Amino acid sequence: MAVVQLSKICKRYGSGGPVVVDNVDVTIGDGEFMVLLGPSGCGKSTTLRMIAGLETISSGTLSINGRTMNDVPAKDRDIAMVFQSYALYPHMTVGENLAFGLKRRRTPPAEVKRRVGETAAMLGLVPCLDRKPQALSGGQRQRVALGRAMVREPMVFLFDEPLSNLDAALRVNTRNELIKQHHRLASTMIYVTHDQVEAMTMGTRICVMNGGRVAQVGRPLDVYWNPADTFVARFLGSPPMNLFTVPLAAGDRIRTPAIDTALTRWAPAALAPLTGQEVVLGVRAEDLHLAAASTGSAEAGRIRGRVFAVEPLGAETLLAVETEGGAECTARLPRDTRAEVGAVVDLFFRPDAAFLFDARTTAAIPAQVRSAGTGPAGAPGRAGAIP
Amino acid sequence: MSVDATLPPAAGRGGFLASRTALAVVIAAYTAYTLGPFLWLATMSVRTTGEISADHYAWPRPFHWEQFRIAWVDSDFATYFWNSTVVVVAAVAVVTLVGAAAAHALARYRFRGNRILYGILFSSIIFPPQITLISLYQILVDYGLYNSLLGLTLVYVSLQLPLTVYLLEGFFARIPQDLFDAAKMDGYGDIEIFRRIVLPIGMPAIATTLILNFIQLWNEFLFAVVLITDPDKRTLPIGIRAFMGDHFQDIGMIAAGVMISVVPVIVAYVFFSEKLIRGMTAGAVK
Repeated sequence: MAVVQLSKICKRYGSGGPVVVDNVDVTIGDGEFMVLLGPSGCGKSTTLRMIAGLETISSGTLSINGRTMNDVPAKDRDIAMVFQSYALYPHMTVGENLAFGLKRRRTPPAEVKRRVGETAAMLGLVPCLDRKPQALSGGQRQRVALGRAMVREPMVFLFDEPLSNLDAALRVNTRNELIKQHHRLASTMIYVTHDQVEAMTMGTRICVMNGGRVAQVGRPLDVYWNPADTFVARFLGSPPMNLFTVPLAAGDRIRTPAIDTALTRWAPAALAPLTGQEVVLGVRAEDLHLAAASTGSAEAGRIRGRVFAVEPLGAETLLAVETEGGAECTARLPRDTRAEVGAVVDLFFRPDAAFLFDARTTAAIPAQVRSAGTGPAGAPGRAGAIP
Repeated sequence: MSVDATLPPAAGRGGFLASRTALAVVIAAYTAYTLGPFLWLATMSVRTTGEISADHYAWPRPFHWEQFRIAWVDSDFATYFWNSTVVVVAAVAVVTLVGAAAAHALARYRFRGNRILYGILFSSIIFPPQITLISLYQILVDYGLYNSLLGLTLVYVSLQLPLTVYLLEGFFARIPQDLFDAAKMDGYGDIEIFRRIVLPIGMPAIATTLILNFIQLWNEFLFAVVLITDPDKRTLPIGIRAFMGDHFQDIGMIAAGVMISVVPVIVAYVFFSEKLIRGMTAGAVK
């Protein structure tokens, strides 16, 4: 049980080297499953390794349960970590791998045996206890790596993209196994991934990182429905959110040859200073429809463009459209959608499904906050679904 | 319709057989080339010099096994064998331990001068050992180590250490960093990680260097003949030389001596051969 606090944590390689983690300020609560999410090179793994004690902290403070950990060696932090490569000791059996950390802590042999047995039973590893890692499947290795962390009963669990080497089916199973173990152990867990599905399904909160900085922290659906900037907006969601740089017309509207919509989520006073300036309009692919009536809105927004790709995926069809201004957008439509490449189509959306960002800073323009579980007004079912 | 994927197509089966036959012929020829002289030496070791002079290639008739007793007891081979064993085992043990630790440090830790140190070590492999002979002789005399087994052991350590570090560093550098990080998270310090992770995982490479060093030092002649003068401190290669006179060479006894000296090498090879092959081929196959 632990509260992990990162206060203005920075990581710089060399005196004049690049800053790879910049002023990260996050508190991870006791028993929380925090997911550090971001693209490759965004600093999430480095942040995790600093928490583990495998990287030095250039500046800032890391504390666990109020105790500053900056200078505490990794071996004394009472943290367990599951690595992307599993990092199983190849010369030891599964049983020895599980017991390795306990032996170092002078755990009595009977206790070691009990804990290894319990963990192996919990993860279905009992038949493998005498096998070496090279004789195991990928899924079994992953479970041994998880077991090696669990058997120690540490204060904090760290996971560095532990599912990325598994095939799709096994990834789903292991994801559920991890969620189950988190509920059972109620331990503080910090999980690094670049996979938004893992983040959305596993995290009690997610911390989206970009360029070494924290872009946004919040509950998964809160972040999904209220992205702080265009980066978060595009990073969460598949296909990514459609963004259009357009001038803001007077009367709280956007009106270009390709796009026409009212902006109902924003108070007129909030938009007044931006009138005439460029803003970024965002619409998620699943909020676009081929018929205005499908939106359920009396005054639906509209995007007009030419179809350049149709991707029937079985469960749904993705329609890729290029607008007159050259912007591309993708609509997620019902599976029976028929469209010809080259045809001009109108895509409709509810005005309250629109997002608006400052074109200069890319930050979201404050609007009526959407709460997790409701999503755009009138679309509760969709908001509750995993994007 | 089913297809047996394990068999080559009928058209290619003839070619497959021919290539296997050719391979077998080449391997047989190479084996005869390398094993022939050894077998010839083995037959000579149980023949007298007179018999050998009469017919170089004749089969031993009778077998003069007493030549081994004469070499071992009367010609002090027991002493030479013991001296060789002490010097070589001590040198190989030190080289292996120090070399592995140095290789681990060079492969794993980023510190100022890491590559310079590595470069210096590597450069010492390039030069022939003969160029250090005079200076080593002088150093041993200065420190009172000339004509001593300890002095010879230290020289052997210095001779073999660079190559050992070079070979092991290459292997250790391929051990994934995650294993070290995992051991740290499990609570282990640097020395424990070296002992419990690096040495066991690096065993194929360590066995390779161990056997190469053992063979090389067991047969080493040049430094032993220059740095040892007392007969009771001679190593086996110098002991064998005692059968060579200016005008007469006791070929039968030389052969018996060589056969005695070669036994530990064969034993070491048999014991470590599997690990040696694994070490040699490590990284070749994913």
